[in-house]
Parts: sequence; C-alpha cells; structure tokens
Amino acid sequence: MRTLIIPLAATILLSATLPGVAGPAQDEILKHFQEQAKMEFSVERGQELFTKSYGTGKPKTPSCTTCHTKSPLKSGKTRVGKVIAPMALSRTKDRYSDLKKVEKWFRRNCKGVIGRECTPQEKVDFLAFMISK
Amino acid sequence: MSVVKPICNQKEANDEVVVIVWDVFVRLFHWLLVVLVATTAITGFLGQEWWLNIHLWAGYGIGLMITLRLVWGFFGTNYARFSSFIFRPGKTYDFTRQLLRGKPDHYTGHNPAGALMVFALLLVLTGLTISGLIVLGGQEKQGILAGVISYALGSEVAEFHEIAAFLLLFMIAAHIGGVLLESYLSRQNLVRSMINGRKNVPLVKAAIAGKVVLVGKALFAISIIAVMAGALVWSLMRLPVSGFKVIKQNSAYASECGECHHAYHPSLLPESSWNKILTGLSDHFGEDASLDREVVKILNQYLKLNAARHWDTEAANNLRRVSAKDPLSITASPYWVLRHKDIDERVFKRNKIASKGNCIACHIDAGSGRFDDQMINVPDE
Repeated sequence: MRTLIIPLAATILLSATLPGVAGPAQDEILKHFQEQAKMEFSVERGQELFTKSYGTGKPKTPSCTTCHTKSPLKSGKTRVGKVIAPMALSRTKDRYSDLKKVEKWFRRNCKGVIGRECTPQEKVDFLAFMISK
Repeated sequence: MSVVKPICNQKEANDEVVVIVWDVFVRLFHWLLVVLVATTAITGFLGQEWWLNIHLWAGYGIGLMITLRLVWGFFGTNYARFSSFIFRPGKTYDFTRQLLRGKPDHYTGHNPAGALMVFALLLVLTGLTISGLIVLGGQEKQGILAGVISYALGSEVAEFHEIAAFLLLFMIAAHIGGVLLESYLSRQNLVRSMINGRKNVPLVKAAIAGKVVLVGKALFAISIIAVMAGALVWSLMRLPVSGFKVIKQNSAYASECGECHHAYHPSLLPESSWNKILTGLSDHFGEDASLDREVVKILNQYLKLNAARHWDTEAANNLRRVSAKDPLSITASPYWVLRHKDIDERVFKRNKIASKGNCIACHIDAGSGRFDDQMINVPDE
C-alpha cells in the first residue's frame, strides 16, 4: 500500500505546498525520489541540508552555500569563477527537469560536500526546498 | 622644377648662398620616420601586450615610408637621389681622415659618412619591417604571413628582430652624434636644415643645377609597387592560417566541462595531461567531477584529436610543456607563470575574474585558442 500512497500523497502535497512553479518534469523527478524515500519530503529538512556546514567532504567545499551562496534565489559562482544560475526553480525555470542531470549533480556534489552519496530522502527534501523557493 | 635655387644673390666667390637642399618629401619622410620609429621603439621595448596594434601600425607606416623613400631615391630631387650620395670607398676614407683632423670637406648633401649611415638605417629598418612581419605571422598567427610562417620560424626571427632593434638604437645615437658633430664643425644648424630644408652652400657649388623630379616615373614606380604588393597581400591573405583552425566545440565537452569552468580550448594541454584529467575526474582539482563512462569516452576522443600537438599557435606551442609537479594544471605550466608574473595576485581575485583558471574573463578569444595580444581586456572589478 505504502508504495502507492506516498507518491499519491506527494503529488497532492506538491500541488498544495509548491504551487505554480513545478511543471510535469519536476513532478516526475520528485515522484521518482519520493518513491525511494522513507518519509514524505520536507522543505525544512531540504533547507537544512542546503545551509549546513559539513566538513566531511572535500576541504574546499564544506557546504552547498560555498558555491551557491546562502540564498537559492541568488546566482552562485564556481571556484574557478563561472557563474551558477540560482538554484531556486522560480529563478531558473529549466532546473530539475532532467533526471540524469539531477543524479549527476547529486552524485558529484554530495560526495564533494558531505563525503558520501545522498540518500533518496535527502534528495527529495533538497528538491522540494528548491522547487518551493 | 629645380629645387636648388639660390635665395640671395651675392656675387663674390667666397660667399655662401642659402639653398634648399632637403626637399619637402625628404623632410616629411625624416620626421615622420622619427615619430614612427619612436612609437615602435616605445611599444616594442616596453612591450605591453595591448600595445601590439600601435606597434604594428607604426611598423606598417615605416614599411610604407621606406618604400616611398626608395622610389624618391631614384626619381626625386638632386640631394634626395641615391646617386648623389653613393661615394667610392676612397672618398669615404678621405672624409674620415679629414673628420679626425677636424677639417672635413664640405658636402652640400650627405657627406660620405652620413651617406653610409643613411643606407645602413634604411637597411636595418627594412630588416626590422620584414622580420616583424615574420614574427607576427609565425608567433601571433596574424598579418599577411600568418599562412606561411611556422611558430618555430617566427620565434627564431623574433631574436633577430630584437637584436636589430637594439642595433637601430645605437645607430640612431651615432646618427644624432654625427649630425651634431658636423653642425659644430661646419658652423651650421643641420637639425634646422632638416626642418626648413635650407643649408648655406658656397656659391661655386650652388651653381650645380639640381636634378628635376621625374614625377611621371616616380608615380609609375609607385603604381607598379602598389599593384605588386596588393597582389601579394591578397594572395597571402587567402591562405588559411597555418596551424590554426576554428573548430566546432564538442557539445558534450561544452556542457559537461563548461558547466563549472570556461571550457578550455583542447590545444592548451598535451594529450597526456588530458588523459590524466579524464581518468581522475572524481578528484578534479579538489572537486568530484565524475562522469558516465560513455561521456568520458566522447570527451577523450575530442581532446585527443585536438590536443596541443595538433596546433601551431603561441599558446599550444608553449603550454604543451606542462609543470612537472602539476601536469594537469594549465596555470601551473612554466609559460603560463612567466606570462602572468607581472600581474598582481589581487587582480585574479577580482569579482569578474575570481581565479587564475578563468581565462575567458580577460582573454576575450580564449574559446578559440588564439589568445591574441589585442584580445586582452582585464576587468576593473
């Protein structure tokens, strides 16, 4: 039952809590991670993930905010100087629409910042936060 | 038109008359050349990259001036003609001895020592102009010789260009010294003569009529030279630039590598370095940049095909020698370090630059791999 209820609930929740911005592509990706996650996604947990300083990954990138800045609404900058478009979906409309790309960046950046791969729970929380912004 | 015309009319044999020796062209040529040579010297010796264009235009100007002077040397007024100041070695020897005794013979135009200097200056300036074009074509892949000169040849000739430039400085010093010495010995201001064209000449010598300018022949010669030079330039400019081509950036390379940093032109590292980079993406300059195996394969092919050894540009020729300690880093290579050594560390920290690895922040044409001197624009903030 759970496998059916959670995605269903998620979809309903999505339309309720993340109004407007998320298109079908983003919904699809959220659903993908929600299906593997233990709990329903939480925007607050997503925010915490984003702002926390870990210090367990690569020394030059202790937190997401090192490059992305503290606000998902603002442009970030890579260590080399390339501008990164804002993480918030409301600012960068084509974000979180390609699962392969999303997986690639979770893999790279979770390893770089936290020192391990992220769990599906963390991924769905993180995405929910960015889509809500 | 006779240019040598007595201006005052005195009759006694010992008297001097004032004669126009240097015609308008010779005077304009001389002072324009002074300005142009000074410009090339300043921009060349103090060599800031963004001055290259000024150096080039002054150089082209010198080339044009010398061409016109050569024509004028055959068809111009009396004292401008080479035939009037080509002296037998014996005469030059005699003049030198007279000079050492402090009593040189009077020459209305160039004296034998001065004449030698004029020819030497013309020769060295011609050499500088031609060698400059070779360096420009070989090293910078610019100008009319970009299609025919290799980087290696351009670099060899660059040495010659530099030596000739130093030689020219000494010659200019000697030329000025000679003019001052003659001015003193002959009690007339020869610098002023090169401005107003006039010299005091013994009446006897002034009687020698000046040769008439062969306007038609001069124009004919200039047209022939212009047509030939034009045809040469046109055909040379049609040749593709040697060792450089515009390549279409691989889309996987542009998106996968260009997402975090400027997508460095593949010519900026040797194949061995690119290989090491692709096999070590999980720790890529302190970050995890791992990629699917399929993507890595595509990147490997693109980089292998376009690595440094396939190019003859200045960047590729120099950056292919990587740092032994840090062979993956373009900015660690000896050449990169050398070329950026005068730039304050704070400049690299500027907001729009952020790091040494952000080539394109200052090198507008970094994407093409050319790195032209004229394409440098360092942001102020």
